Amino acid sequence: MLSRTLAALLSAAALTAIDARAASDPPTEITVDAAASLSDHLLPIVPLLISLKVAFWATLAILPVGVALGLLLARRDFPGKSVVETVATLPLVLPPTAVGYLLLRLLASNGPLGERTLGIDLDLIFTWKGAALASALMALPLVARTARVAFEQVDPKLEAMGRTLGLGNVAVFTTITLPLARRGLTAAAILGYSRALGEFGATVIVAGNIPGRTQTLALAIFSDMQIGRDDEAMVLIAITVALSFAAVWTVEMLMRRRAVSR
Amino acid sequence: MSGSIRIDIRVPLDRFTLDVVWESSERWMGIFGHSGAGKTTILEAVAGLRGDVTGRIEIGGRAWLDTARGVRLPPQLRGVGYLPQDLRLFPHRTVMGNLLAGGRRARRTASERLAPSRVLRMLELEQVRESAISELSGGEMRRVALGRALCSGPELMLLDEPLGGLDLPLRRRILPYLLQVQREFDIPTLCVSHDASEIRMLSGEVAVLDRGRLIARGRPEEVFTDPAVLPIAREDGFENILRGRVVERAEATATIELEPGLTVMVPGRALAQADEAVVGIRAEDLILAVDAPTGLSAQNMPGGSILEIREAAGGDPTPDRHEADERVLVVVALGRAPTRVVAAITRKALLRLDLKPGMPVHLIFKTHACRVLAAL
Repeated sequence: MLSRTLAALLSAAALTAIDARAASDPPTEITVDAAASLSDHLLPIVPLLISLKVAFWATLAILPVGVALGLLLARRDFPGKSVVETVATLPLVLPPTAVGYLLLRLLASNGPLGERTLGIDLDLIFTWKGAALASALMALPLVARTARVAFEQVDPKLEAMGRTLGLGNVAVFTTITLPLARRGLTAAAILGYSRALGEFGATVIVAGNIPGRTQTLALAIFSDMQIGRDDEAMVLIAITVALSFAAVWTVEMLMRRRAVSR
Repeated sequence: MSGSIRIDIRVPLDRFTLDVVWESSERWMGIFGHSGAGKTTILEAVAGLRGDVTGRIEIGGRAWLDTARGVRLPPQLRGVGYLPQDLRLFPHRTVMGNLLAGGRRARRTASERLAPSRVLRMLELEQVRESAISELSGGEMRRVALGRALCSGPELMLLDEPLGGLDLPLRRRILPYLLQVQREFDIPTLCVSHDASEIRMLSGEVAVLDRGRLIARGRPEEVFTDPAVLPIAREDGFENILRGRVVERAEATATIELEPGLTVMVPGRALAQADEAVVGIRAEDLILAVDAPTGLSAQNMPGGSILEIREAAGGDPTPDRHEADERVLVVVALGRAPTRVVAAITRKALLRLDLKPGMPVHLIFKTHACRVLAAL
């Protein structure tokens, strides 16, 4: 929870900085070379802040979906359940570029969610919001699966007990199921957040690799490596290792404490 | 709210179909049966936790289930206080948090009688009110589960083996709470158990469940001496349950007055002067004498008369059964109430003494044949 609050604060700061920067930039056609030269002037903090912002919003967007899906899969049997399970797992095994490309086609101006079809521009292509959406989609399987396990570990007998005490479905969910699944759900959020932080393939296709706008840590490492800025790449890699370590370690601790308390 | 309960249900189970018809206006109802007889299924059906129940369940004049008319109230609209065998306490809440779990319904329905503070006091849980469930002892957990059911403002309490799996000292600690609940709250209660003594102590009316069917029902002392029930109850024998007030407390013994002029001496360590005591004596531990005995060490030899002689007729005549094993139950009336006490003797003894209903007899038993089940 702390990391997310922190991320939100950092993101807000980054947003203002980047917007100011973007406004002063002349609107140019962006090529890989141009991007590389532009990134010359950027400190590692900029891709870091973009990454944190993208991952934060991706997590926020995917958490309700993943939790609802996890609950559905853990508690309900319905026709086609295995199909839903499989589709929800696909982003985990498909090449991220494939998912990104499908998303791009979906959002293209003549696609099903494009400007021409909907009548409004969702402003997702080549924006950080697009990066967040792509990361969210890629994080879905991890969030849904972890949430499912979290719900499966809640004894349905306790929920039934709550019903005999007069609690309706909503009250049972909010006062029994949710609190009992909270560690697992926190783990789901952190895993989703970490997955979104490291997303590359889908993001680069939907959002591009625009320094200062959509260039996340993962994309910046790629760009630095491409033009031989090895030292800068290593700095970025160190940052991602530290972030990922903290996230995975927190999840491990959450899981272990649950195992002990049972 | 009237205390009447009408059950007429069928539930398909693996090995048989549970088929139970029972109407009672008794406050405390007990169902006795072996494990696997379908006892818990009945409670779950009444609580609304099973979707495969058909028939009718009517509690206090309100239909909770009437499949013929499409009525199937969900559990949250039924109003039961369920004490399951595995307790199912909420591990993420404190003792008080558990007691308050059903508070919303309680505020709608119940009176001050069931205020959590009062339940907490009565079940002596005040010391642990803010404790986590994992910090409690087994006996405390059971009291919390009982308290949680009480605090939810139930119309009907459902107790599944409320003393099951507890050793005698722990039973002795929990039982008084149950009797206290019975006395103070007066909530209709359906209790199931495979322990005949437990059922007899807690119930005004009992039914016996065997492979999904009720094979007998009525007053406990009648039901448990019913020839049809004997083979089922035989396993743990018949235990007489006596209640009385402690009138004299010696070093290691106590004298209990069942009614004026009728006293019994029992082990006294768990009792204090003026306690109300519940004492169990196994039918096998009673000796019958037709003449007033003299020169015996046994402290108890009250006189009474034979009310009834019940033979386990039609029981399982296995070829290797010894004649001496053929038990006969003799029901003896003591005092004016009368207190009905059942003695188990062999057929040989019955024939030798030529016992007949109406004959005066003496019951002989040692102080230490009595076990103190509860003190209030």
